[in-house]
Amino acid sequence: MPGSSYLISRREFAMQSMVTAAGVGLATQLKAESVGIKNGIFSGGVYPSYNIMQEVRSYRKIDAYANAVQTPAQFETQIRLADLLNIEKLITAVPVAKTMGSSREEIRAYNDTVANILKAYPGRVLGQFTVNPLDSKTALEEIRRCTDLGMIGMKLFNHVKVNHPSVYPIIEKFISYNMIIHIHGESQLGVGGYRMKYDVKNNPGISVPEDFIEIAKRYPEAMFQYAHIGGGSDWEYACKCFTNQPNIYVDTGGSNNEAYLVDFAVQSLGEDRVFFGCDGSFYQGVGKILSSDITQHQKKKVFFDNYNEVLRKSGNGIN
Amino acid sequence: MLIDINAYVGNWPFQQMKYNTCELLLDRMNKFGVDISVISNLNGIFYKNTQSANEELHQEIRSARKFSDRFIPFAVINPIYAGWRDDLETSVKKMGMRGVRIYPKYHDFGITDPACIELVKRVRDYGLPVAFEYRMVDSRQRSWMDIDYVVGTTKREWNLKDILPIVKAVPDAKYMILNYANAAVLTPDEMNLVKTADLIFDTSGRTITNMSEFLKLYGTNKFAFGTHSPILDYLTGQLRIESLQPSEADERVKEQLRSGNAKKMLGLS
Repeated sequence: MPGSSYLISRREFAMQSMVTAAGVGLATQLKAESVGIKNGIFSGGVYPSYNIMQEVRSYRKIDAYANAVQTPAQFETQIRLADLLNIEKLITAVPVAKTMGSSREEIRAYNDTVANILKAYPGRVLGQFTVNPLDSKTALEEIRRCTDLGMIGMKLFNHVKVNHPSVYPIIEKFISYNMIIHIHGESQLGVGGYRMKYDVKNNPGISVPEDFIEIAKRYPEAMFQYAHIGGGSDWEYACKCFTNQPNIYVDTGGSNNEAYLVDFAVQSLGEDRVFFGCDGSFYQGVGKILSSDITQHQKKKVFFDNYNEVLRKSGNGIN
Repeated sequence: MLIDINAYVGNWPFQQMKYNTCELLLDRMNKFGVDISVISNLNGIFYKNTQSANEELHQEIRSARKFSDRFIPFAVINPIYAGWRDDLETSVKKMGMRGVRIYPKYHDFGITDPACIELVKRVRDYGLPVAFEYRMVDSRQRSWMDIDYVVGTTKREWNLKDILPIVKAVPDAKYMILNYANAAVLTPDEMNLVKTADLIFDTSGRTITNMSEFLKLYGTNKFAFGTHSPILDYLTGQLRIESLQPSEADERVKEQLRSGNAKKMLGLS
């Protein structure tokens, strides 16, 4: 146990011996610490009794939320960070913007960006395409085209809410593929959130947890991924919404790495419905799971097994 | 050796905190290999009379030898509240506080308010650092009762440009700029100010997406390990350092980041 090594460390022994008895003021004790440092007594320290990189390397990882950033150099940086953190696979789609293009050409261009990254990193990157549900003919064509290119899922943005009727035929198609539908969601103050106090210029078409619940109830055989509970959402709000809806999964992606986020997600949704995700924030993505108090077995599931189980359903599982 | 320059005990009124007492924080430190933590009392952000929070922290640290061995306390001072000069003196001289945290947004004054400048100068004259935060929590998921500096609105979260005016006003003070958030393109003068001031950032903030790039930009002497615990997770700040490759940071640089730069800032070496 890492802590126990501290208890017998040279530094602890020295400090216990050095600091004067009870009743001595804090300032005096700090002065004593300074003397200790001056004499090199701190040099033993507890470090490296905990080896964070060893623990990082001990878990296989699938990043359930990676971004197909625009330039090869930018994506190379992502791969480099993924290498450092032992992330085996990156589930990659075009990152969401406040508003997304909706024409056939724009949608194809998004998906071609992903296709090009798949070619550049075969086996390392798994692709998700997007569609505009309001253009159902093109959407169904893109589903065919992109699955033929080897993409393994879909990410919907903010053209319409996920429970809009225009999305129904797309979901039905995906049910037949046994693939997960990844959707950019929000739950925060402001447009797209649970109180309309601030207009932060979000597209009103963005989906909120209640929209996910409605569509997940309508299609209980479909799988939905609520994107990035660490991406600015009120993760307590979102997780509480999804507690009783077994076909909604969440990923832990996003730059927000609040200390109890992962524990709360696993506690609320169970250990099967939480995926590791980064959304470009690689340090936070890994750090928030490693530092959580879920069990080692649960960390293994969140980092890798849970998403792999989803991939297996469509015949895309990783050995 | 690992020194965390950005940790707290106490409560955040809008969300339950874990690991937010000296005992629980010490458990985290032992589990994850942290030797020393610089701590303040979160309650000081919310009490009108911040000295009550400083007294709470002082009492908690004094309650066990293991705490005084491992924690370096910083006071929270509000320079627009009555008696703050006495509070500062008491905190430093009687309670052994080794620095001061200042919260202009929460305590509702401008960062170059004359009172803030006077406080920074007084702390400087004690030879101690002052600490400012970019933000405490991600405003996108803030409580409706929290301050209304909100991403995506005209009253946005702070970036470095919002903090530098106090550094410019008192350039010979020691600064800890914590929980790095929100990118800003600095002018050459601003960058020069960052580089020449006695100033360090901690490694806890969301905007540090690529640690090696930040080291190149600001210099290896400008960063020190920090967690922003118990609000943020305990390991991300450490991961930013330990995942650096030898070509990005050799062992000497990593030791600077783990504890060397913090020791200099805190007067421990």
